[in-house]
Amino acid sequence: MKIRRLIAIWAAKTAGFACKKMGRQGVTWAGKIAMKVYPPILSELAGEVREKTFVVCGTNGKTTTNNMLCAALEAEGKKVICNHTGSNMINGVVAAYVLAAGLNGHVDADYACIEADEASTRYIFPAIMPDYMVLTNLFRDQLDRYGEIDITMNILEEMIRKIPGMQVIVNGDDALSAYLAMDSGNPYIAYGISSPVMENETNEIREGRFCKKCGARLSYRFYHYSQLGDYECGRCGFKRPALDFDAWDVKVGDRLSFRVEDRLIAANYKGFYNVYNILAAYAGVRTAGFNGEHFNEMLKKFNPENGRMEQFRIRGTGIVLNLAKNPAGFNQNITAVMQDQTQKDIIIAINDNAQDGIDISWLWDVDFDRFREESIHSITVSGIRCQDMRLRMKYVDIPCILDEDIERAIRSRISDGVGNLYVLVNYTALFSTRNILKKLEGELK
Amino acid sequence: MKITIGHLYPDLLNLYGDRGNIQCLMRRCQWRGIDAETIAFELNDPIDFSKLDIVLLGGGSDREQMLVCEKLKEIRADFEAYVEDGGVVIAICGGFQLIGKYYKTEQGMITGLDLVDLYTEQGEGRLISNIILESDLFDMPIVGFENHGGRTCINQCKPLGKVLYGSGNDGQTGYEGVVYKNLIGTYLHGPLLPKNPHIADWLILRALQKKYGSQVELSPLDDSQEKEANSYICRRFLK
Repeated sequence: MKIRRLIAIWAAKTAGFACKKMGRQGVTWAGKIAMKVYPPILSELAGEVREKTFVVCGTNGKTTTNNMLCAALEAEGKKVICNHTGSNMINGVVAAYVLAAGLNGHVDADYACIEADEASTRYIFPAIMPDYMVLTNLFRDQLDRYGEIDITMNILEEMIRKIPGMQVIVNGDDALSAYLAMDSGNPYIAYGISSPVMENETNEIREGRFCKKCGARLSYRFYHYSQLGDYECGRCGFKRPALDFDAWDVKVGDRLSFRVEDRLIAANYKGFYNVYNILAAYAGVRTAGFNGEHFNEMLKKFNPENGRMEQFRIRGTGIVLNLAKNPAGFNQNITAVMQDQTQKDIIIAINDNAQDGIDISWLWDVDFDRFREESIHSITVSGIRCQDMRLRMKYVDIPCILDEDIERAIRSRISDGVGNLYVLVNYTALFSTRNILKKLEGELK
Repeated sequence: MKITIGHLYPDLLNLYGDRGNIQCLMRRCQWRGIDAETIAFELNDPIDFSKLDIVLLGGGSDREQMLVCEKLKEIRADFEAYVEDGGVVIAICGGFQLIGKYYKTEQGMITGLDLVDLYTEQGEGRLISNIILESDLFDMPIVGFENHGGRTCINQCKPLGKVLYGSGNDGQTGYEGVVYKNLIGTYLHGPLLPKNPHIADWLILRALQKKYGSQVELSPLDDSQEKEANSYICRRFLK
């Protein structure tokens, strides 16, 4: 055992402990320190994982899918390393391994489930050499940071090809992701939903309408949402792959359920997109060779408490907090909110910090006009770019209240609202808003 | 009165909230009691420019622009006649590059519409930032967001404005965009028009005057929220 490696782990653990004590959310510090002290730390620790390593990539659903996959493997009695908080750049990934290591400098784990930021896969993949890659979907996201979606796809394809033995577990309903899996030459298995589930409005922005293989327009038998659906290219024959894990009898409402293989899967979640998250995790454990008999049990207990459809109750007001950071995600959020037909108040907080993307033009690609319904009691816009958000609502003729202070906005809606509040926020607003809600929960019992 | 907006190829050129520009033009007409209609042209649709009062050409990825540029050859003559006759055009980001002679990228050459004497070449790195301009055409500053790898040279043409914050056409000359007759080309999205209602109204007024005569005037709207959003950007970035 190299002494530097031991020092790296101890230093990182101390930093991680200090961060926790000071109430800081970020564990990335610990990773940064460990890398500084001993650069090969990640590949060495990753190499100690006894069985398999999963990596989860894709624009939306990474954190939920990865945490669920981790919980599913744990339900099978396995020890798993996981970057639970969604710190998915290189430092966050290093931190997950380092903080899981013992004081002897070794990790004791059967599996690793690592969520990876697409642009960071260049550094993460070669170090952890995943056996399986879950690819959830590709939507436009943070164009100022990632550039065009084509650039993200090029990076991913390059990384997939670099590890030819890695099996790709891909959302077959997404033509962009499926194309990557097929074109890479790697072994892949596909999951998806073969039949239409919900009515789909037509004005949504859809990526990749043109065949990645030959450039002709793809024809769709139907869309689930955004560009997810059943597609085919009339010119070159590229089409949705046969689904190895096909969800059918899908029911979405206050809770959701579907069948896959010979199982009925049910969960206490809202949001159609969660069918994909659950299905991806299920496909993951099944592909790793488990039969999945503990999966439902795991779902019942699964509660990530990370601001994804997280519920609070404060002074009689039911509050749902959810992350909404790009058009595809936001449109799905709106669908989920509108499924609740009772009266509701809505708060939308938009920041433009580096991690959010400093370009907020994507707000205009979200179909906010769907909030023009009688069940919407009020809409409050908040966050650093609340002015832009107010204009966005003005141009769909929906009146709103502007309050740049999110805590004040939440307090006001608790006292003057209808008792049913949805708080939709983008990335950097998530942790602070969650902390506010936790605080108010204690304060306003 | 009625305004017909032609939105060119939104199935390919739809980055950066272009829909917001359309929504803004539509609403600002409708709020004044002017009928407004948008026709979205897909790649193989024939375009009759004589039926259009405002044309919007938006931004797309380099790959998508490559697909569009083939098509542009077919509409070039009609589009040029429209512009020369004083037809109103707003060309944004990729659209701004496409109205020029060419856009030279690492992957190859995209031949443009050659409506305005300008050209674009890919430069080192992308210019990504909030951006603020001062323009002769307006009292109020122009604010937006730029994200482009191309550097555009507008030769002797008139720029849309002087850069107060951000990079502009080429990151060097200190100017942004182009104005030619009733055409505006610019890298600014954000989208452009909602926070710059003065530009939206410039386009609408020119289109109405061309169609109904120079006596047409626009009734004022309550733009206090637009102005607040505009001045927030100025306050934050202009120190």
